[in-house]
Amino acid sequence: MPVPKLDKDELLRSEHQLGMVLDLNKCIGCQTCTVACKTLWTGDAGQEATYWMNVETRPGAGYPRGLAAPNGGWTPDGQRGVRGRLPTAEDYGTTYRFNDEDALFAPGQARFAPDVEPRWGVNWDEDKGAGVYPNTFLFYLPRLCNHCTHPACVAACPRNALYKRDQDGIVLLDQERCHGYRFCVEACPYKKIYWNHVAKVSQKCIFCYPRVDEGIATACSTQCVGQVRFVGLVDDPKSPLFALIHTWKVALPLLPGHGTQPNVYYVPPTAPEAVDADGRPTGKRRIPLSYLQQLFGDGVGPALDTLETELGKVRRGETSDLMQLLTVQRYLDLFTLPRAPNNDAWFGAFAGPGGAPHHVPAERTPSETEP
Amino acid sequence: MPERRWSRGPSRRTVLKGMVLGTGSLVLGRFRWLPAARAQDSLQPSWNPADYSYTAWEDLYRRQWVFDAAGRSTHSVNCTGSCSWKVLVKNGMVWRDEQAADYPAIGPALPDYNPRGCQKGACASDYQYGRQRVKYPLKRVGERGEGRWQRLTWDQALSEIADRTLDIVERYGPQYLHAFTPIPAMSPVSYASGSRLMNLLGGVSFTFYDWYCDLPPGEPITWGVQTDSAESADWTNSRFIIAWGSNVNATRIPDAQMLQKARLRGGARVVVIGTEYNPTSVHADQFVPVRPGSDLAVALAMDQVVLSEDLYDAAYVKEQTDLPLLVREDDGRFLRAVDLDPGVANADGDDGGGFYLWDRRRGLTAVPKDGLDLGDLDPVLDARHEVQTAAGTVGVTTVFTLLQRELADKTPEWAQQQSGLAADTIRELAREFATTRPAMIIHGNGVNQWYHNDLANRAMILLVALTGNVGKPGGGFNHYVGQEKIWPVAGWKALSYPGPQRFQNTTLWTYWHSEMQDVDPLWPELKPYLETAVEKGWMPLWPNGLEGEPKALFTWRANWLNQAKGNGRVLAKLIPKLDLIVALDFRMSSTDLYADYVLPAATWAEKFDLSSTDLTSFLIPFTPVVAPFAEAKTDWQAFRALAATIELRAKARGFTAYDDVIDGTTVHRDLGTLHDQFTEGGKLRLDKDAAQFILDGSEETKGYLFDDLVERPRRFKAASEHWTSDLEEGKAYAPFQRYVQGKRPWPTLTGRQQFYIDAPWYRELGVMLPTFKPPLELSKHPLRLSTPHYRHTIHSSWAIDLTLQRLQWGEPFVFLNPDDARDRAVEDHDWVRVFNDNGATRVRARVHPAVTPGQALLFQGWEMVQFEGRHNFQAPISIHINPTQLVRYGHLQFKPNYWGPTGANRDTRVDVEKA
Repeated sequence: MPVPKLDKDELLRSEHQLGMVLDLNKCIGCQTCTVACKTLWTGDAGQEATYWMNVETRPGAGYPRGLAAPNGGWTPDGQRGVRGRLPTAEDYGTTYRFNDEDALFAPGQARFAPDVEPRWGVNWDEDKGAGVYPNTFLFYLPRLCNHCTHPACVAACPRNALYKRDQDGIVLLDQERCHGYRFCVEACPYKKIYWNHVAKVSQKCIFCYPRVDEGIATACSTQCVGQVRFVGLVDDPKSPLFALIHTWKVALPLLPGHGTQPNVYYVPPTAPEAVDADGRPTGKRRIPLSYLQQLFGDGVGPALDTLETELGKVRRGETSDLMQLLTVQRYLDLFTLPRAPNNDAWFGAFAGPGGAPHHVPAERTPSETEP
Repeated sequence: MPERRWSRGPSRRTVLKGMVLGTGSLVLGRFRWLPAARAQDSLQPSWNPADYSYTAWEDLYRRQWVFDAAGRSTHSVNCTGSCSWKVLVKNGMVWRDEQAADYPAIGPALPDYNPRGCQKGACASDYQYGRQRVKYPLKRVGERGEGRWQRLTWDQALSEIADRTLDIVERYGPQYLHAFTPIPAMSPVSYASGSRLMNLLGGVSFTFYDWYCDLPPGEPITWGVQTDSAESADWTNSRFIIAWGSNVNATRIPDAQMLQKARLRGGARVVVIGTEYNPTSVHADQFVPVRPGSDLAVALAMDQVVLSEDLYDAAYVKEQTDLPLLVREDDGRFLRAVDLDPGVANADGDDGGGFYLWDRRRGLTAVPKDGLDLGDLDPVLDARHEVQTAAGTVGVTTVFTLLQRELADKTPEWAQQQSGLAADTIRELAREFATTRPAMIIHGNGVNQWYHNDLANRAMILLVALTGNVGKPGGGFNHYVGQEKIWPVAGWKALSYPGPQRFQNTTLWTYWHSEMQDVDPLWPELKPYLETAVEKGWMPLWPNGLEGEPKALFTWRANWLNQAKGNGRVLAKLIPKLDLIVALDFRMSSTDLYADYVLPAATWAEKFDLSSTDLTSFLIPFTPVVAPFAEAKTDWQAFRALAATIELRAKARGFTAYDDVIDGTTVHRDLGTLHDQFTEGGKLRLDKDAAQFILDGSEETKGYLFDDLVERPRRFKAASEHWTSDLEEGKAYAPFQRYVQGKRPWPTLTGRQQFYIDAPWYRELGVMLPTFKPPLELSKHPLRLSTPHYRHTIHSSWAIDLTLQRLQWGEPFVFLNPDDARDRAVEDHDWVRVFNDNGATRVRARVHPAVTPGQALLFQGWEMVQFEGRHNFQAPISIHINPTQLVRYGHLQFKPNYWGPTGANRDTRVDVEKA
C-alpha cells in the first residue's frame, strides 16, 4: 500500500476544534484520568493493553515503548505521510492476571502473583526519571489522542475509516468500517491508536463525544483531581485555551515536529532548582531545557520564562492574570464546551426517581434475625 | 493555510453521489458544492475528513454511556479524602464511579474543593463483584492461615460465635473480648456497630491512631490535644509552606491542587524537606534533601537560629507559651505555688497550685489561670533569680533561658553534620520561616514514624510557636496523617460507647502479647518504665495487666494483622493465644485468612454511613446505592444480628446476668435484653437511624437530617468544644484560634503551649525540652529501611486490585539508589531479599536515581499473600516503645487515641541482597 500523498491545501480544518491544555505544573501522576477512561471505555477483552489515556513519567520510555524513535506523522514539507513503526507486544508489555481464588480462598497458601512474569507495562518506569541524586528530575505527562488538525491516521487509512467531526474536530475511528489493517497505528506518531486483538479492529480515544454532546467534558478531564486540564475550543478567542496557547504562549504542543498539529497542549513544568551535594540551591535549572525542547519545541524556553515571571509577580503580592487563569478559583471554569455546558445536570446531580440520588430504601437493609 | 469549510450535514445523511444538498444547507446555513471526485463510494484513498457519511456507528459508544441511576457514596479507607462520589448503576448493578464534584465553595475568597477523588476511588467498584469479595459466612476448618473454609449460614455462624463469646465471658470475663476497628471518622456508624456491642458486653476497644504511628505525640505533649489541623483550603492563606516528611502529592491526592493554588495563585513558597526526590518535590519551589532520621536535628537548628538571631515573636511567646515560666534550678521542676506555701489550694495536683513568671515590674508573679491575656504583665523571657521557698532559697530561671542553653550547641553547623544539609541553607530557611507570615509546616510520617517522633514534633512545633504562627490562618503545624478527625464526635461517642468502656493502646497490647520483649534489644531500658506504667494503671493492659493472655479478637473494617509491625512474631506468639478470631470484611484480606470466622460485609456502596476528615469541613454520606451483594450485611446489621443471637444463646444457656466493674463503676449487665439495648428500644434498628443519632447528638451536625446530606455535601454547622477554633462562615477552618485569638488557657498543665515537661521520667530521660537524640541504631546493617505510603494503595486497600496493579509491577518491590544496587550487583527487576535480624522479605528491586543513597524504600500496605512465605514489608520491622509515651503527667493521661505509645518503625536498618 503506497504511503499517502496529499495536497497540503487539501488538509482541511473542521468548523471548530475542541482541544485541551494540560498544566504539567499540577499533574501529580496519580493516574486518576487513566482509570477514569479505562473503566468507562476500555475494559473489554482484547483491550488489556489499551490505554486511550495514560500518564507517563518523563524522562521515560513512554507507552508503548519506543516513542522516542522518529515514528509516523508527516514529512517536514507536510506533503507525505510517514509510515511509522508498529509497536510490538513487548512494547506494550505483559498483561497478566492474578490468582485471587487460589491465593485467597483455597488451601495451599498460594502466593498472590501474576500468571505471567511482568516485564513491561503502561506505567513501568513510574517516578524513575533521570539524573543523579539529589538532582534527579522528572515530571508526569498525561497523554491521549491529540485529535490533530492534520491527522496522519486519517490519511493513512485506505478504507477511510477515520475522520474528523466537522463540528468539533474530534477524530473518530469507525468501528464498523475498520478492517484492522493498522496503518493508522503506524502513522500515528503518538501511538495513540490501539489494536484490539479480540475484536480485530483498531480503537482510539473518542474525546468522550457521547458526554461532550451532552455538554459534559471528557471523563479524564472532569475526573482529574489535580485540576490539570482545560477543555474547550482552541479556536475560540474567548476560551481560556486560546489565551494560554496564543496570547500567553505558555501552552505548547507535544512533539510538534511530526507535523500533525495536535490539539492537546501542555504548559511545561517548572521544577525546584538543582542543589549541590550539601543541598544548597545552585540557581541552575533542574530539568535540562534541551530535554523539554525535544518534547515541546523551541517555544518552551520563552514559555518557562513567562511562567517564572508571572510566578515572581504573585510571590511579590502582585496580581498575575496568567496565574489566575491557570489556577482557576472554581473547578467548573476548567471546562468551556461549545455546547451549552450541562454542568448542573451532571456535577452533583443524580439520576433517580425525582432526580434525587438513588439508593436502596432504608427499610430494606435490616437483617432477618430478630429475637 | 486557506480556510475552507465543507458543508455540515446531519449525522445520518445518505451517501452523496455528487449532489448538492440545497434544502439541507439552507437549514444549516451553509452552502457548498460537493465535487464528485470526493464522493465516498470507493476504496480509493481520499481525503474528506469533514464529510464522513457513515456516522451511524457512533451509536456504539453512545450506548455505552448509559446508566439507570446514580447514587451517592464515598470510601472508608483512612485516606483523609472523604470525597464526594457518584456511583453509577446499570441493570441494578454498580457500573462505575465518578467524582460528584459538588462541594460548594466555602466562600468567595476561597477556591472550591472539587473534584476530590483519586484513581483508587475511580475503581472502587472493583471491590463490588471482584474475586476478592467475601460473599457468605466462612468458618475455618483447617489451621489458621491454611485457607480451608466451610460455608455457613448467618444463623449458624452467629450461633457459634455467640456461644464461643459467651464461653469466654463466663469463664474469664468480658475484659477478655478484644475489638479492633480503626478511624471512626471514615465511617462512624460502622465503627460503632461492633464497638457498641462490645461496650454492652464489657469488652475492650482498641486504639489505632497511636498504633498506626499517625498520632504525633508532640501535639498532646505541647498542646494537650490529640491533633487539630487546618482544612486544606487554608493552605491558600499561607505565604510559606514546608512539607516536612509529608508527600502530599502521593498521600493527600485530593488536596494536591490546593497546594498548587497556594503556590501559583497565592504566592506561597513551597519547600519540601525529605529524603528521596518524591512526587511532591516535583512541583515544589525548593527540594531540601536530608539524611533519613535527621529532621529533628534540622528543626532544632532552625529553632536555634530563630532564638539566637532574635527572630521570635516575643509578645506571642510571652502570652501563649510556657517560655516565661520559672523552673527550679535544683531539681528541674517548675516552680509551683506549693513550693512557696505547702498549704496552698490544690497542692497535691500536678500543677501544685499554679506556676510563676517574673514580671518586669512586680517580680515573682503567679501565672494568671483564667485566661492568657496578660493585662499589664510583661514577663521577662530571659531571667534568673533566687526565690524563697518553704524549704529554703532556690535559684530559678525561665524555660526560655533553659531553651537557649539547650539549643546553644544545636547550630546549623552541627545540624549539617547530622543531616548532610548545608548550614547556610538551614539558616536561610529558618530566617525565611520567621520573617514570612503566615508560615506553616505540613507534617507527615516521614518524620513521625521515627522512635523520637515526640522530640521531632516538639522541635517543629517550637519553630511554629516561636514565630507566632500557631493559631493563625495560613500558619501552624498541620499534621494530616490518619483520618482521625471525627467532626461529629459527641454523637459518635454516645452511639459507640453507651456505657463505661475499657480501652487499650494497641501498641502496648501487641508488644506484650507477642512477647516482643524477648527479642527487643531495648527491653532492659524499657522494662522499668513499662512495668511501672502498667502496674500504676497509667496505661491499661488488657485482659489482666502483665499476667493475662487475650482470648478473643473481633476485627472489622481493618486489616490489622497485615499492618501490624512485627507481624511475624504476632503470628508466632499472639495469634495462638486467641481462642476466637472473628473478622467482618467485604474483601478477603491477610487478616481474614487467619480468622476463625469471616463474615461478609457490605461495601461502601451498600450502606448508610457518614464520613468526615481533617482536610475539609464538609460531611459526606454513604448510601446503599445497591443492596448488599450475595449474603453481605452492613456492619450495623451484622453486629445487631450478633447481639440478638448472643441474647438468644445467653437465655438458652441460663447465663444472662453478670456484674462488671469499670473504672470503679459497677455495671449490671443483662444479656437478656441485649438486642433491645443495642437498638435502644428499637430506635436504632436501621443503619440510617444510627447515622441520624450521630447527627442529632453532635453540635457540628445538629439540625441536619440524613437526607439533607444526600441532597448535597453540607458544611458542619459549628465546631464543638472538642475542637480548638470556631467554624466561621466563609472562612476555612484553622485550629487553635480559641487559645490564640480567644485567649483561653490551653488544655495543658501550665495552660500554655508547653515546651517544658517536668515529669520525673522526662527529667530522667533528659527530654524536658525538645532536644536531640539520634535515630536508634539497633543493628549495623548498612541501609535505612523506609516504609512510606504509596499513591496506588491506601494501606492495604487496592493493594491487590487488578486495575491499579496493571499500573505498577504486579508484585511488591523495593526502591534502591543506583549506587547501592550496583554495590550489590542488583539490577532492575531482580528478586532481592530485604533483611535484618528480625526477618526478611523477598521483593523485586527497582533501581531509581531519585532514592537517597543509603536508603531502601519499601512501600507499606502490600498484603502478606503477595509475598513468599507471607513475609511482607513488616518482616524486618519490630515494635519499639518509647517510654516518654507511657508517662502519666498533667495533661498527658491515657485517653484512647490521644495519648499512648506509638508504633514507630523507621529506625530499622536492613541490607539487601540478590535472592
